[in-house]
Amino acid sequence: MVVDERRVQEDFRAKLELALAEYRRWEPEWQTLATKINKSRTSWLLPGMADGLGGGVERPERPAEISIAATDGSQIFPDRHEVSSCFLINIGYILLHYGTGEKPLMSSKPTLYYREEEIFEEWGGRRMFVNRDLVGFKRSLMEFTELADLALAAKAEGHPVVALSDGTLILWNLEGKPQDFKESYLQTTLEAMDSLRDARIPVAGYISQPGSQELINALKLGLCPLEVADCDRCPWQAENQLGFNEDEIGAIQDDLWRGHGLPCSPLEGLNDAVLVSHVLSPGQRTPLYLSTSKILNEYGSHRIYYFYLDVGAEIGRVEIPEWVATDPELLELVHACMCDQADKGQGYPVALAEAHERAVVRGADRDTFYRFLRDTFVKNNIQTSISTKSFKKRYVGI
Amino acid sequence: MTRVENVKERKPSPLSRFMPDEMAKRDGAGAERTYVGEVVESSTTELIAEARELHGGPSFGEFIRIEADLPVLGIIFNVFTHSIEPNRRPTAYGKTEEELRLEQPQIFELLRTEFQALIIGYLDGGAPVQILPPQPARIHSFVHLCTDEEVRAFTGNDDYLRRILNTSKVPTDELLIAVLRHTLRAHKHSRDYLVRMGKELSRLMGDDYDRLSSVIRRVAN
Repeated sequence: MVVDERRVQEDFRAKLELALAEYRRWEPEWQTLATKINKSRTSWLLPGMADGLGGGVERPERPAEISIAATDGSQIFPDRHEVSSCFLINIGYILLHYGTGEKPLMSSKPTLYYREEEIFEEWGGRRMFVNRDLVGFKRSLMEFTELADLALAAKAEGHPVVALSDGTLILWNLEGKPQDFKESYLQTTLEAMDSLRDARIPVAGYISQPGSQELINALKLGLCPLEVADCDRCPWQAENQLGFNEDEIGAIQDDLWRGHGLPCSPLEGLNDAVLVSHVLSPGQRTPLYLSTSKILNEYGSHRIYYFYLDVGAEIGRVEIPEWVATDPELLELVHACMCDQADKGQGYPVALAEAHERAVVRGADRDTFYRFLRDTFVKNNIQTSISTKSFKKRYVGI
Repeated sequence: MTRVENVKERKPSPLSRFMPDEMAKRDGAGAERTYVGEVVESSTTELIAEARELHGGPSFGEFIRIEADLPVLGIIFNVFTHSIEPNRRPTAYGKTEEELRLEQPQIFELLRTEFQALIIGYLDGGAPVQILPPQPARIHSFVHLCTDEEVRAFTGNDDYLRRILNTSKVPTDELLIAVLRHTLRAHKHSRDYLVRMGKELSRLMGDDYDRLSSVIRRVAN
């Protein structure tokens, strides 16, 4: 096992060295790579390059007075084994004012959904019980719209404000959902984006420990000997070798057998954060990349750009809409505030951490909630029942 | 001190929707109230109250009055500040309080000051009674600091001192000294009061001359 583990680690180091060498190689010639990216069709997500591949951008100075708005959400999922099929969404609100000594706003507001029309929804012509999946969507939508409202209210009171969202701004998980559902959720999100843009409040999504591999994918594409790659017709895949003569197949097989795999394989298994951590120093960010997620075709003027940021403790991924990416002042503000927030929160933005603390509904809270609900039902002479399964779990006989 | 406190307008602010209910209330009607704390634990002999402001508890030895039909009177024997989250502890930042207020404002929202008081009597129809009250102060009732006048009225006689000496909760002499320094101030450092107090103390602890002289020395200087 130790021998194997050592081999894995050595293998990883070799991959990383290759990736770094490739990264350096493409740095001055990023436009060639960008052109290849635009022409090629790959099975993996590639970054759109806006202003280069590598090189760190130094941390700008944060304005002395700035307010940071953040929200986070948590929920009690509907449970059909319980007395009621209701569910609860709790949103934590944080508004921290820096440089003024003002009292921060730190609160949470729960919303209980229990009415028939609240626990059943109709999407794609199907009436369905609001399940965990839907509650999750509802919660993340609410996190974002409430963040926009909080930031707008802060701005209305005269605070210069930056809005931080927990996680990605790319609603890729809407892919494959019924069309009306997708449209409705997108529209609400984009309306919130519109209002932020109109108020010129920069918004950024922060992803801790990102697993994304877009940059690595770009380097993989750089390794592909073809001028224009098309993974569906990759000549190194046996199923695409029809019509090749034996010599050609022999050469390709030779290559594969020598353990090289596909030309792009040597970089398999790396992610962007690992690569970038060897390129950036604390406080620096990468250039901007444009996400090419399919869902963004429907984002209009809010298409999402991202950069990786060395916050010291880790590499984070910061996502911003186009109107922030193309406004140098807002972009600098986001960069500076993200670094400052991570410093203050020992590696993770303090406003997001506090929003989570306010929002979180723990197992014990859930139990208390249902106990309170049962007691109140009983006190008010409402007939209640829990499922036999749930009952059995609590009172197991011998 | 902060901008929020200086805002005098009555109309709800755009942010009020996001404020916790207590905060919204406090900024409104509660602002004129003059209480220093609110009772959160209560018994016949002592109580714990949460200070209205962080680090805003009464001083050690100070007299307090708790709102009730028969207002309860007590003296502060402990003031403490701690984290409101059971699993989060304050850590050192290496910054002054001023710097922290500017750059780490959230930490002051996560701390709370509480104080403990020893019950020493109550008011019946406005008249002080140096006996424990028939009913303890109610939870959530407001705590006020006693005015000098109230302290003078209550310390018209010195029977309450025995209650302090009999408590096993605190370093008794320290509490006694702190209380007497407050009462002496309320009596405007009157010589008559000082003499009366000295006599009462010598009655209470006359069998221990060293202790008595230490207490009197520290009250009077």
